[in-house]
Amino acid sequence: MHVLLVEDDETVGRFIVEQLQQAGHECTWKVDGVSGLAAARSDSFDVIVVDRMLPGTDGLTLLATLRNAGLTTPVLVLSALGEVSDRVEGLQSGADDYLVKPFSIDELLARLDVLFRRVASESSAAQTELTVADLRIDLLSREVTRAGQPISVQPREFKLLEYLMRHAGQIVTRAMLLEHVWGYHFDPQTNVIDVHISRLRQKIDKGFPEPLLETVRGAGYRLGDAPVDAQPGTSTDSVSQ
Amino acid sequence: MTIWSVINSLTFRYIAKYVVVLSASVFLLLAALYAYISYGFFTELSESILDEQETLAVIYAGQSIAGVEQYVNDQLTAPASGRFYYLVTDGSGQRVAGDLNEVPRYEQFRGGWLGFQLALLEWGETVDVDFLARPMDLGGDYTAIVARNYADVTAQASLVIRTLFRAMIATIVLGMVGGFLSATSTLSRVERLNRELSGIIEGGPEQRINVDAQKGYVRELAEIMNSLLAQSEGLLRGVKTVSDNIAHDLRTPLTRMRNQLEQLRASERGDTALALNDIISECDDILGTFNALLRISSLETGGLYSGSAEVPLDQLLADVVELYEPLAAERDVALTLQMDACPAVAGDRDLLFQLFLNLVDNAIKYTPDGGSVVVRAAALVGFGARIVVGDSGPGIPADQHGNVLRRFFRIESSRGTHPGHGLGLSLVQAIVTFHRGVLSLGDNAPGLRVTVDLPQLSSRRK
Repeated sequence: MHVLLVEDDETVGRFIVEQLQQAGHECTWKVDGVSGLAAARSDSFDVIVVDRMLPGTDGLTLLATLRNAGLTTPVLVLSALGEVSDRVEGLQSGADDYLVKPFSIDELLARLDVLFRRVASESSAAQTELTVADLRIDLLSREVTRAGQPISVQPREFKLLEYLMRHAGQIVTRAMLLEHVWGYHFDPQTNVIDVHISRLRQKIDKGFPEPLLETVRGAGYRLGDAPVDAQPGTSTDSVSQ
Repeated sequence: MTIWSVINSLTFRYIAKYVVVLSASVFLLLAALYAYISYGFFTELSESILDEQETLAVIYAGQSIAGVEQYVNDQLTAPASGRFYYLVTDGSGQRVAGDLNEVPRYEQFRGGWLGFQLALLEWGETVDVDFLARPMDLGGDYTAIVARNYADVTAQASLVIRTLFRAMIATIVLGMVGGFLSATSTLSRVERLNRELSGIIEGGPEQRINVDAQKGYVRELAEIMNSLLAQSEGLLRGVKTVSDNIAHDLRTPLTRMRNQLEQLRASERGDTALALNDIISECDDILGTFNALLRISSLETGGLYSGSAEVPLDQLLADVVELYEPLAAERDVALTLQMDACPAVAGDRDLLFQLFLNLVDNAIKYTPDGGSVVVRAAALVGFGARIVVGDSGPGIPADQHGNVLRRFFRIESSRGTHPGHGLGLSLVQAIVTFHRGVLSLGDNAPGLRVTVDLPQLSSRRK
């Protein structure tokens, strides 16, 4: 994918560009709001990454200008911790995701991937049923079946499964799960999510020849097969627990 | 400031010692002077007695006993004070002349001297008076005793001693009062300095002593302390900056290295792939540590929480407990939440969640299988809410409570047995401080009890 990065911090900027390129993405880097805005208008990008604090025009103003101009490209806002409580404000300005520094590069890559793919799957947002291989969940009756057999899950497990299924084939990090399933935003840096995953795995994979829920070492989890166009930077390896 | 603290102060002790030594030396000096003067007086007294005896001897030689009698009787009419007393006796011991009736009980001194006490009529009262006397042979069996009283000397002596004693008492009392007063003033200055320094210890290294409020040498001391503080603050900032820079700068090459290892692993199979997995997770641990370190330092340098969001603790704590229930169940640890009615606290929801997640994570990690972890929340009247996380693990010795909040510090016994980078409690501390709260560690008997006091929005100080 083609990423536009608007970041004034030289170290952070160079680092992100380097890592994105290593992961096989194309990246354009601008160091201030004005040139970032110009680039976003003149070229077409798959995802835009904007630092909140920028010289000249700040990240949120840039974002608001873009949205007012009718640009729908997904935007991820980067923020230093001092502004952590302004997250809501960021999302209200039209950001699609918000990441607090310092973050791990895997986290950024996984989130950009999700943003990038969401555009493609936007049309099917209204579906009431999700299917991955022979695993099926009904969003209305909240029933889960695999190969026709009913599986009983608790509400939180259902939410977890739903999120994983909505991003089937993509890597989701622990922070993304904590964010979308529990509603808190930070990198937990503990194995607590793993326990929930392994419980869920017990329910949906045990007794079936083909495991669906994989742990992607060092990055997160993935439900279902990786898409054929998986990038080298997010190379995966399934480790069964 | 209590009286005891003043008396115990260095200034008071110094002054007290000085007063005691001074009065003792003055006393010794005066006593020596007195002894010298008394000695001179006694020498004079005894010489005058010897002279008188010589006179008697001369009179006896010239005019025999009748002359002596005449002379003695003449002398007796002289004024009483300072005169001689006589007793002249014949061979049989009968008094021939003089006003001493008989030889009283006496003390024998060196060189034939006698000392005795005699009651004399003085100002209508009989007063015991000390006498110095010397007997002599006049010749022809006659003996003459010449005595002279030294009441004046003893009176002088007792007067001098009394005066000395009173003066000493006065000196000591005045000295002590003076000492007390000056110690009080010194102590109050030192105490103010102490208070300011304690405030600095609590408030952080960027604070300074108010030099203008100090006077004299304390002011000088305060100035020196301030420059010392400035110096250590600079050093501290330097160390922090260096460690943050290291973490920041090493993240880039480390991530690159990690990604290259990932690529390498994709083409490897078997043992090599497993070994690469280990190396990659080591890299992830280091990166995790760096991120935590940077997070803590951005919390510490980013000022205090100034937003106006309110976080209801019941939902937040229920979420933490719910998140940890499977892990606790897996370890057979009883994880319970006791929720009293308490106000919503001011703060960032995500950070507060992370705070309690870290505490519960730690509590479960250090609690042995089958133990218990209790999360309790209650209102803290006038402030906000108090949340206590108690476990039944090994706890932390009280003398280590300060240390475990330091970055990278790990209790020796937990090294190797529990994974972690020693930043968990530092992060907790940083989040609590960021929210103007108070973190304290205590004994849960057994186990560790972590108490977090968080302010509600309305009670937050400006």
